[in-house]
Amino acid sequence: MNTLTKNSLRFILFACVQALIFNRLEIGFGIHLMVHPLFIMLLPFEIGVFPLMTLAFVLGAIIDIFSNTYGLHASSLLMMAFFRPIIFKFYSPREGYDPIKEPSLIDMGGRWFFFTYGYLLLIHHFWYFLIEIFRVDQFFFILQKTILSLVFSYLLSILFQTFLMKKSKAK
Amino acid sequence: MRNLFAFFKRFRVFLFFAFLQVIALSIYVRYLSFPKNQYLTTAGAFTAKILETENNFTKHFNLSKNNLALQKENIRLRKNLPISLYRIDRNLLKINDTTFKQQYAYIPATVLYSTVTRRNNYFTLNVGWKQGVKRDMGVFSDKGVVGIVHNTSEYYCVVKSVLTKDINIDVMIEPIGLFGLLKWDGKNARRGSITGISNDLHIKKWSKVVTRGGSGIFPRGLAVGRVESIKGIEGEPLWDVVVKFSENFRTLQRVYIVKNLMIEEQKALEANIPLDEEEE
Repeated sequence: MNTLTKNSLRFILFACVQALIFNRLEIGFGIHLMVHPLFIMLLPFEIGVFPLMTLAFVLGAIIDIFSNTYGLHASSLLMMAFFRPIIFKFYSPREGYDPIKEPSLIDMGGRWFFFTYGYLLLIHHFWYFLIEIFRVDQFFFILQKTILSLVFSYLLSILFQTFLMKKSKAK
Repeated sequence: MRNLFAFFKRFRVFLFFAFLQVIALSIYVRYLSFPKNQYLTTAGAFTAKILETENNFTKHFNLSKNNLALQKENIRLRKNLPISLYRIDRNLLKINDTTFKQQYAYIPATVLYSTVTRRNNYFTLNVGWKQGVKRDMGVFSDKGVVGIVHNTSEYYCVVKSVLTKDINIDVMIEPIGLFGLLKWDGKNARRGSITGISNDLHIKKWSKVVTRGGSGIFPRGLAVGRVESIKGIEGEPLWDVVVKFSENFRTLQRVYIVKNLMIEEQKALEANIPLDEEEE
């Protein structure tokens, strides 16, 4: 399967899974499960910054349409896409990224994935809840929602990858 | 000029990002208060179709419970029918008079999609402007008030539920008739609060909260919930009243939309009120 078909299939999968399943799950304590940022994370290393941001915007807008958030998901995914190249550059290995590999837990290892995805998801979640609530006097509620959602979304993303993905083979 | 191009070239990534971000946020802000069209909401034809298909599978989950609730409502209404009343005065004549005129009509609807955990929660219903639904109509269920219609498409509509930032339904506390605005703080889907209740009158716990019907969106006396706790706000002569909603928004499936047949008349009259210049 080449990269284009693989990522198009993933786009549809993530949009459907997030819009129809995870948007509806209610755990309590303000936890809001979001797996669709994983799609932006798993796009290939060599993707340009413009297609990356456009894809993030479109995926976010589709999820917005399904959950009546009118641009909130688009805005926060865009934020994440903007910071992805910056954080990837910061955590890049000495010899640069191997273009055959994918930026996933299985290909890049736990330590690398933990930090990069952790920071990106933190940016995404914090921006999302900040814009959603948008009140200074509820700042601790924003933090509570961000951190709890972050932990659960993160665990869910790891589960997703361990069950559904295989190691990329060298050509 | 060359400097300008150099500037654009240098910051093109950030400018593109800012451009898209401005689009997303401006749509968000505009749609929260006044949605222009239905394409970006769940009332859009494509989205609503998918949600309806999904609802066809999931609607059976709460069927027996819902039927029971509807049966209870039927019993309550049936008790007031002439056939279940005993007539004491046999000599009364029945006169068709003009004292009563129909003011409110109701449109039944099914909830296709709903959320309760966001800051602003919405419902998608399976009726639209073809069925006579318009923006700013009230929505309620057999247990209590649910929300206000936010946006309609041809066959579907999106309802702003009680669980949104600026819902502001005018409600009153029943036996004493104090009234204020219903608000929701975004935390608990079972509790809201009323603002603007002055603290010179004592409010009993668990007294009923109903709609006031002042703005013509809801008829007077629809249930909202019950007063759960009363606290004084520091520095203001007001009560902070916490209301426990009588409706559980998580399991909501059948609702009615209120159609006020005299709303045009009320609006035309209210448009003639001159603006208070001191308030401006």
